[in-house]
Amino acid sequence: MNRKSVVFTFTLILLLILSGCTTVGNQSENGKSAADKKEDRELKIGIPNDIKTFDIHNHNQVLTEAVHINMFNYLFKRQADTKVETELVDTYKLIDDVTWEFKLKEGITFHNGDPLTADDVEFTIERVAKDKTLAEHSNMEVVKDVKVVNDTTFQIITDDPQPTLINLLSRIGSGILPKNYIEENGWDHFLNKPVGSGPFKFVDWSRDNRIVFEPYEKYFEGKNEEWDKLVFRVIPETSTRINELLTGGVDIITEVTPNDIARIDENEETKAVSTPSQRVTILALQHREGYPTSDPKVREAIELAINNEVLVEQILKGEAVAVRTRVTPGNFGADPSLYDTYLYDVERSKELLAEAGYGDGLELSLSIPTGYYLKGDEISQAIKAMLSEVGITLNIEFSEYNRYIELRNSGEFGDMYFGAYGNSLFDASIALDMFASENGEKRIGYSNQEVKELFNSALTNMDTEEREKQYQKIQQIVAEERPFIYLYLQNEAYGIREGLNFKPRVDSMLYTPDITRN
Amino acid sequence: MKYFLNRTAQVIPVLLIVSFILFFLVHISGDPVDIMLSENATEEDRETLRQSLGLDKPFIIQYFIFLTNMITGDFGKSIIYGQAALPIVLERIPATFELMLASIILSTAIAIPLGVLSAVKRNSPIDLLISGISILGKAMPNFWVGLMLILLFSVNLKIFPVSGTGSVFHLVLPAITIGSAMAAQMTRLLRSNMLDVLSQDYIRTAKSKGVKRLSIVYIHALRNSLLPVITVIALQISTLVGGALITETIFSWPGLGQLTIEAINARDMAVVQACVITIAVFVIIVNLIADLIYRFVDPRIRY
Repeated sequence: MNRKSVVFTFTLILLLILSGCTTVGNQSENGKSAADKKEDRELKIGIPNDIKTFDIHNHNQVLTEAVHINMFNYLFKRQADTKVETELVDTYKLIDDVTWEFKLKEGITFHNGDPLTADDVEFTIERVAKDKTLAEHSNMEVVKDVKVVNDTTFQIITDDPQPTLINLLSRIGSGILPKNYIEENGWDHFLNKPVGSGPFKFVDWSRDNRIVFEPYEKYFEGKNEEWDKLVFRVIPETSTRINELLTGGVDIITEVTPNDIARIDENEETKAVSTPSQRVTILALQHREGYPTSDPKVREAIELAINNEVLVEQILKGEAVAVRTRVTPGNFGADPSLYDTYLYDVERSKELLAEAGYGDGLELSLSIPTGYYLKGDEISQAIKAMLSEVGITLNIEFSEYNRYIELRNSGEFGDMYFGAYGNSLFDASIALDMFASENGEKRIGYSNQEVKELFNSALTNMDTEEREKQYQKIQQIVAEERPFIYLYLQNEAYGIREGLNFKPRVDSMLYTPDITRN
Repeated sequence: MKYFLNRTAQVIPVLLIVSFILFFLVHISGDPVDIMLSENATEEDRETLRQSLGLDKPFIIQYFIFLTNMITGDFGKSIIYGQAALPIVLERIPATFELMLASIILSTAIAIPLGVLSAVKRNSPIDLLISGISILGKAMPNFWVGLMLILLFSVNLKIFPVSGTGSVFHLVLPAITIGSAMAAQMTRLLRSNMLDVLSQDYIRTAKSKGVKRLSIVYIHALRNSLLPVITVIALQISTLVGGALITETIFSWPGLGQLTIEAINARDMAVVQACVITIAVFVIIVNLIADLIYRFVDPRIRY
């Protein structure tokens, strides 16, 4: 073989490999969005991270759930207005304090054609309630037993009275799985070719690239006629996500930062929409002896020195609401007097510090994962500047997220840590658990007998009115004792193409049957 | 042949060392359990999960279990995806290769003519222009080039898609982003090698024999200048297999780089190991191929 033909062959092989490789992903994007073309019935949504898995019980990521709810059903469903209504369940009743009886709707089938029966519910709920290695186990372990009465009727028996059971059954960790399909084919098969009962069925998942669904013809509420195809595209870089929206590569994008809203609004074909989310930002303060923040006066002085309004208006461009609690309106147990309010009094703050013996200044540390929370780095710098006005020198210790979690969970974070938490249960119990559980003691050394009693009583209290009062009382105590100083409730902003009807949801779910074209 | 068998045998200790260092580093970086469980999980929940993942065992035992499984191709289950780690890594290979090959073809296609031209027209305005462009190409950071290309060709001119995969058009901008810096480096290298070779005796001999100028440049000089360029390409391939992270992120390209970083962040030991071992095997193969090409380009080389 002469040299020329060797070179030629080598080039040819390279080209062949290259052309073979271009089959990654199996569809072309023509740059036209659904909103532009009436006949294009493909909805494309740009999301910042890939979903974790199709094991709906083994993750605790809101975005993953936001995608899952298009192909799985819960027994109950949270509506866009945050009220919970029946979904797979037709009727239900409380037999005694710990026994609930449910009847399923008729004619529900999984995407493989199998009917959805009480056996599937038993299989699903018992799995997550018993298997301690699942990420959602801790939220569902209150379920003691599931009893199948007949094909469509079953009972759930809990350890103690469970006022939040219906909420638990409408969130991550309680989507109903196909028992026969999983038992016949195994988990690995299910995770690669998942089957649910929701409005859309699985087509393809190319990791870190795209997740594709299409409507399920036999969906029990009727086939979705609006869309022929549903594509979630993973676009990690914020500016790329926005450019995709501007050029029509996608119809909706999530996680738009406050700074980018103007750019989306300036474009004629796109607009930004936002809604208050469930995510509240906090500073957690060390209560252990030996730390300056163990003195209530120091804690109060810190709260009074921070101007929440400046954080909200200047850094977050108005896309947040100042709060003094994590239980915001729309959540059971909310105390309206702690919403849309903040304390700010620099003079009083200085006095308190002087009374506490820190008139000459005080040095504190704040732990925060860098680049993790929305505008977290800027917010912490602003807080540092605000605290310096009352004589507190704040040393911000940035770390990588995993390291931060370790510091936080072990209580070795220094004086304060910065955090932000959601609440997909829509109940005060998750938001207040920290102040009554071992986690609170271990992390910040906070313990209050009255809070513990109120909390434990509320957890199993079936008297709704009294339970609400118990939660409100805890929030008042916490607002006074300040294990956390609450900063603001974040808005969640989305970018959408004109011509689409899309209302962002408080629970951050991307429930596509609610999205339509004009 | 014997040489290649020898080289292949060297691979085993290299892989062992790589896997041990990696296992050790991931191990000391901490515990994945905290980030896997929900905010309200109790200490008991954490302990149960630790046991089920085998993280409660002593380090050496954990490593030994990992090693024995690895030999059978079983890297264990990914703790993020709950599935076998190796297939998760292998499914990224096509996208990674696609981007890598496109960048290398592009940069070679730019660098060879420019490098040759620059050397032949030494100190002419063309040489200065090419040198200027290649310094610029090397100096511009990847992420900036990527973002600017998107703004110009996707948002304003609407010629290429912004990001993602699916067609040859999706490949153009990321390939230019990576290829431009590589081309710049190769052009500079080729120019200086060519200058060196062009001053050799055998080139003067060829000239005096009356060999055509084009044939002197492209057959005699270029071939002898290519060896260092091949080394650079081989090194670049090794970097690109696992390291095109920034470009992959900007263009939402589902390659190995993104997977590796995600796995490291989640402390997903199985996937990290599978990624690194895959990359290591690949780098070794590329080096072997580079050796082969050396022999083809310069038959004097014998092993």
